[in-house]
Amino acid sequence: MVTLRTKELRRIHLTLDGKPVLARSGQTILDVARENDVYIPTLCYSDKLRPLGTCRMCLVEIEGTAMPVTSCTTPVSEGMVVHTDTANLDNLRRENLKLILTRHPYNCPSCDINGACELQDLVYRYDISHQDMHAYQIKPADFGETPWATPLITYHPRRCILCGRCVSACTEIAEVGVLAYKGRGSDTIIASTEPNEFGRECISCGECLASCPVDALVEANGQPKGKAWETKKVKTICTYCGTGCELILNVSGNKVTHVSPSRGGVNQGALCAKGRFGYDFINHKDRLRSPMIRRDGYWEEVNWDVALDYVADKFAAIKQREGADALAGLSSARCTNEENYLFQKLFRGVLGTNNVDHCARL
Amino acid sequence: MTETILGIWDNQVICTPRPEDEASGITKLAELREYAPGNPVYAVMGWDGYFIYDQAHVDVVDMARAYMEVVQGESCGKCVPCRMGTRVAADLLTRIAEGRGAQEDLDSLRKVADVVSQGSLCELGHSALCAVIDLLNQHPDEFQRTVTEGIRHPRGTYHTKVTAPCVEACPERLDIPRYIEMIKAGHYPESLEVIEEKNPLAAVCGRVCVRFCEFACRRGKLDDPISIKHLKRFVSDVRLDAAVKIMPDKVHVVPDAPLVAVIGAGPAGVTAAYHLLRKGYPVEIFEASGAAGGMAVWGIPDYRLPRDVVRSEVEIITSMGAIIHYNQRLGRDFSIADLKARGFKAVFVAIGAQLGTGLRIPGEEPAPEGYLPGIEFLHKVNAGEAVKAGDSAVIVGGGNVAMDCCRSALRLGIRQVHLVYRRGREEMPADKLEVHDAEEEGIIFHMQCNPTRLITENGKLTGVECVRMILGEPDATGRRRPVPQEGSEFIIPCDMLFPAIGQRIDTSCLADDGASLDVTKHGTVAADDDTLLTSEEGVFAGGDCVSGPATLIQAMAAGLRASNSIDQYLKQGYVSLSDDERMSRVYRAVMAVDEDSVQRLGGAARKEVTLRPVKERVDDFDEVEQGLSPEDALLEADRCLRCYRILLVATDK
Repeated sequence: MVTLRTKELRRIHLTLDGKPVLARSGQTILDVARENDVYIPTLCYSDKLRPLGTCRMCLVEIEGTAMPVTSCTTPVSEGMVVHTDTANLDNLRRENLKLILTRHPYNCPSCDINGACELQDLVYRYDISHQDMHAYQIKPADFGETPWATPLITYHPRRCILCGRCVSACTEIAEVGVLAYKGRGSDTIIASTEPNEFGRECISCGECLASCPVDALVEANGQPKGKAWETKKVKTICTYCGTGCELILNVSGNKVTHVSPSRGGVNQGALCAKGRFGYDFINHKDRLRSPMIRRDGYWEEVNWDVALDYVADKFAAIKQREGADALAGLSSARCTNEENYLFQKLFRGVLGTNNVDHCARL
Repeated sequence: MTETILGIWDNQVICTPRPEDEASGITKLAELREYAPGNPVYAVMGWDGYFIYDQAHVDVVDMARAYMEVVQGESCGKCVPCRMGTRVAADLLTRIAEGRGAQEDLDSLRKVADVVSQGSLCELGHSALCAVIDLLNQHPDEFQRTVTEGIRHPRGTYHTKVTAPCVEACPERLDIPRYIEMIKAGHYPESLEVIEEKNPLAAVCGRVCVRFCEFACRRGKLDDPISIKHLKRFVSDVRLDAAVKIMPDKVHVVPDAPLVAVIGAGPAGVTAAYHLLRKGYPVEIFEASGAAGGMAVWGIPDYRLPRDVVRSEVEIITSMGAIIHYNQRLGRDFSIADLKARGFKAVFVAIGAQLGTGLRIPGEEPAPEGYLPGIEFLHKVNAGEAVKAGDSAVIVGGGNVAMDCCRSALRLGIRQVHLVYRRGREEMPADKLEVHDAEEEGIIFHMQCNPTRLITENGKLTGVECVRMILGEPDATGRRRPVPQEGSEFIIPCDMLFPAIGQRIDTSCLADDGASLDVTKHGTVAADDDTLLTSEEGVFAGGDCVSGPATLIQAMAAGLRASNSIDQYLKQGYVSLSDDERMSRVYRAVMAVDEDSVQRLGGAARKEVTLRPVKERVDDFDEVEQGLSPEDALLEADRCLRCYRILLVATDK
């Protein structure tokens, strides 16, 4: 949980919608509201990032302050009297949503994240209809092709609600900082900064994509993701290296459609380019699915028992003929520590050679 | 003159001034008749209201549209209400002004105004529709008639400016909220780029600027002002501390561009050279001493501003292609007429004010051993010359130079350092933080005292006689005038005395010049306030030598202004005020009636920098203030309210 830094932890008493509530210093109003099951709508808030305060959905009123404040960025203070649900706030949030929708297209059925979209949830909750849309007619801005920092990702400026999560994710999670707001007023978009002498460069980690609440950032070569309600989410560990990042494979039918970040693991949801985009091998037609032995110049599919017997026989024969040091083992960085331990044990203890190495050393 | 309504500001009706309003801001505002010679002001529209000077020439519907278009063009796009809401408002007003509007559009306008002003992230949004709604309320008939009769409104002439209180307070008008915004985004090089648009000495300013901006900071009305100075230092230090120094490339001098000479490599001269180079002029600087930096090097001690910092920033202009001739003193080694003869088409005189002012008390002439004007003392300390002559020193004065003298004396190993100042502590013109730090270091303050006589023995100073002062009636500056109290004389024994009560300009260097520059009765070089033109064709002057001893940032602003004037002079043969400066003039007139209140939630304390502990710091000249950490810089930048505001002036042309 991202909280503002403070020197010491103190108890703070505040009133939330008429109820006395106990909070800790450094918590924001939103933190406290969520702890106490008080609903405040949010759109730009992500618990992985410093609060942004850009979407203006989480506005609350504090007695004694003329302007509503964003609950995600405002730390609680002693004696604060907060109202999260007044007619004025409801009106502000509704009008604000309408303003977002003056730019965001209204064609949810054709969107990949239909059913798992934070904006859609809010539109549903606030019951915004087509009728409401006509109050604020503006000419929709005509955005041309807008390249993103990496060719792996496509950007849809019309869908973008400019919450700024991607910009923050790039700076705070990936610590790269190539993204920035570009342009002014309603023509603003998110774009990569000009390459400069300080050499900031996109590493294609896709943290921006993972943080987008409205699918304005999509995988350039991705397949249709499938309906959210038909997708199975499988928590697993990335196989690319020994770090052991946790990730979620989204499976639609019997096909992995995309990778999404998990909420925990050693990586706390962060992934690299390989873990996030390199999942196509799973359903690839050339992928080996069973062991093979070449006999008479042709690959022949066999089962594991046959394959292991074959290898064991060959090892034994070589050891007998040439001695154990004629054998060598090369392990993989994709294996875990435990697997690597067992591997060297096999070579040293069973086969009797110290010729063991690991691909990461090459 | 009869009293008529001038406009609305802060929800208050502002009327034309009555005779009793003579000294008030309203008079200043009402006097704003001309935007430029021959170009009258018809109306002014801003963040909190509007004023109409000439009803017959103002089309309020069109003005509202024009204002909204500027707001939309300036909205940073981060928050929804300002980004989309002002777009909706601009579209509605366009529709109305083109005669296609309907009654519902006026209602929608009010509705969206409510969301934008309550829901926006920064002060630009909060203030965006204020004046438009005021117009709607005060001139309902005109809007009503427009929508019912479908009247088309032709576009008028408007001048606009986007600014902020801190920006306007800065003599150089640095875009402060913008570079703070960049720090928030973690884009430090871009932040520095914003500063260097105008200010080549970011690290120097980040250490010793007197912070006009912070005193204007609206956050100060809530809790503490933003630590703008230290944020500037933070981004400039990122470059200073970088393992690989990146210096700007040599600029491409425009072929056949006229040569420009700058006399004096102080803050004003360096800034002028920097901007002239950027404009494509070849620049040569003539510096009397052996190092560039002027008072930043010779007048400010190392514990406040390390020499290396100045040097590395001055290197910026040399790597851009400026040629600096050291040890070339005006009047001794060359004259302005020489420069002209050598082909320099324009000259910028920025020779500063280095002569100390005497106390005019008995014992001063001839100067006894141990007596030295404060500014010369600092010069010697900074040049590494031996100056210590005993164990106690008295410094006279209450300004920043006096503080520098005190704290430098302490660091030279002088045990007892006394400060004598004729008024009270509150009246001291020195930076309050400097006064605090000096006292912390053990300087002995003698407030409301004035030296009357130096006591000498065999030509050597042994003490100073002082008299107690009583504060009398306020004088022209508003400070209470000190009056000596008879019979209260006392003696402070001392080995050294440094008066730091002001500086003069050494005008002798101008005397024998073929080109004679006029000198004012205050002994400063006479130059026009706005254009910096002197009595001599093609010669401009600015900085301390025109203003008298002032601050670093004011000198730099003079350098910037000089570069603009010289550019205009060389390109078009005459110098006029820029649009930006004219708008600033309007801004100041409007601010005369502005009663600001900040309707935001405060309570976030300012991030203070760490100072080295007193015990450790009084023995050496190493820097006292440590910079902000990246975490603190981020939290500090987060406190900025971004008080951007838009000013629009309707004129004839």
